[in-house]
Amino acid sequence: MHFIYSIQSEWLKTRRSLASWLVIVGGFFIPVILLSARLLYPDNTQKANLSPQFWEGILQQSWQLMAIFLLPMGVILATSLITQIEFKNNTWKQLHTTPQRMSTIFWSKLGVILFMMLQFFLLFNIGIYLSGILPALLLKQVDLPKETFPWLTYLKTSGYFFVDCLPIVALQYLVSLQFRNFLVPLGVGIGMLVAALFAVQWKYGYIFPFTYCLSNFFLLRGAELKELRHINIHIWALGYFSVFTLTSYVLYLTKKEKG
Amino acid sequence: MYSIEAVGLSHQFPNGDRALDQVNIRVREGSIYGFLGPNGAGKTTTLRLLLGLLKKQKGKIQMLGKSFEEHRIEILQNIGSLIESPSMYSHLTAVENLTVWQKVYQCPKNRIQEVLKLVGLADTGRKKAGQFSLGMKQRLGIAAALLHNPTLLVLDEPTNGLDPGGIIEMRELLRTLNKNEGITIVISSHLLPEIEKLVTDIGIINKGKMLFEGPLHELMRRQQEASYLAFETNNTAAALQLIQSHHVEAYLQDEKIILPHLPKPSIARLNQVLVQNSIEVYGIATVTNDLESIFMNLTNDN
Repeated sequence: MHFIYSIQSEWLKTRRSLASWLVIVGGFFIPVILLSARLLYPDNTQKANLSPQFWEGILQQSWQLMAIFLLPMGVILATSLITQIEFKNNTWKQLHTTPQRMSTIFWSKLGVILFMMLQFFLLFNIGIYLSGILPALLLKQVDLPKETFPWLTYLKTSGYFFVDCLPIVALQYLVSLQFRNFLVPLGVGIGMLVAALFAVQWKYGYIFPFTYCLSNFFLLRGAELKELRHINIHIWALGYFSVFTLTSYVLYLTKKEKG
Repeated sequence: MYSIEAVGLSHQFPNGDRALDQVNIRVREGSIYGFLGPNGAGKTTTLRLLLGLLKKQKGKIQMLGKSFEEHRIEILQNIGSLIESPSMYSHLTAVENLTVWQKVYQCPKNRIQEVLKLVGLADTGRKKAGQFSLGMKQRLGIAAALLHNPTLLVLDEPTNGLDPGGIIEMRELLRTLNKNEGITIVISSHLLPEIEKLVTDIGIINKGKMLFEGPLHELMRRQQEASYLAFETNNTAAALQLIQSHHVEAYLQDEKIILPHLPKPSIARLNQVLVQNSIEVYGIATVTNDLESIFMNLTNDN
């Protein structure tokens, strides 16, 4: 029960925060761009809507920009911002004098971050769906997509990307809990992301924890990644997530100064 | 019974600076305990140790009759605190800020309006806490500390940033809470005049060492003991000799004869003796050390 109350309390802190705006704006950013393009070029839109692979096409288009840069960057920013709420407002000391176990605080904060990620994925998928059907509702010359919406494919794709983001969440959470200065987690996150852009082309790139979103996108496009033939990047992502989270948990519990 | 009983608290910072050295604190249940000391004396470190914000290195801490280490959550359920600058979420309103804590403490929702009214912030509406003045922030911090009806309130320099009117209001509020609700209050300050009108007990700390701890009246007794008499005459040497011949310890200071505080009849008798010996007495004054000078003396000696 205490955990639920703690989650409620943590969730309330995100209200009107930069992180919560980031989730909403980030979720709809790409779909709005795609929708605008589809509204501006109705002939192309009509042609695309008749395609039997329409929803797969729009899914790939949407994830292209998102997976390579925006999603990892958004995760880095949102995770750091949520954790930094306590440092920024000087509230760690107040939080640590509430009658809660340290573990409750740790897991409820992480829970809220993961919940916000889910919120982002939900909004993003709603955005993709709307960008697919809205042109037909707004423009007379455009018909509704012929293909039935492939819920399962969308769910599976989002699920994989969610899992592939988890190492980024865990590492950012770890660093953000340890450093008061917001630039530290941000610097670490951006540095790792840039490194991942290079590492993904490397034979052993899969051992680098920030590459999984990129790799998953290549797999989504149907690319034959030789080096990943016998590797399950999602399992690697979950592994890194567990290691980073446990390390973060131990460091958090053993902190000598708690505010 | 003691609300706080800490024995042998010592703390050293990673850079080797010794912040506390064998500090003992005993806060009586139902008292208002003034924790005094100049800036950097170790007040905040002590309070942070008591609340578990710093990892304890040496000593024992009992709060509300129980070991803090073993009953941390149970104890914190009954403690309200405000450590240093107020903690609040600047992007949330006063009500939202308190709701954050209300969820954790699981106290009734109507308590939020009650405490906001109590600290005079009931009408802040949709204004974000980040737009509050320092005094308003401080009062919101107090409201958060009071939200769950604690039996012990730990306030670290709560009057920081308050104007004189605000300080008086705060003093009244704390006095009422102590009197009507029986809340034990620990209040730290570096200014004695600010809290001497409020507290029942006092602890004075300097350079990490506890210099005095006891009821306020004990400190006042010391104050009385520290007061002295000053005689001003036309012939100090002869007067001094005469006074000493009556077995009174006396000495000269700035052309005045200084002697310990005496009962009124003894002062009259000494005066009579001086006059009878043709010494003109220009003035007899009782010089009283105020609490401030005792505090200064204690901290300076240390």
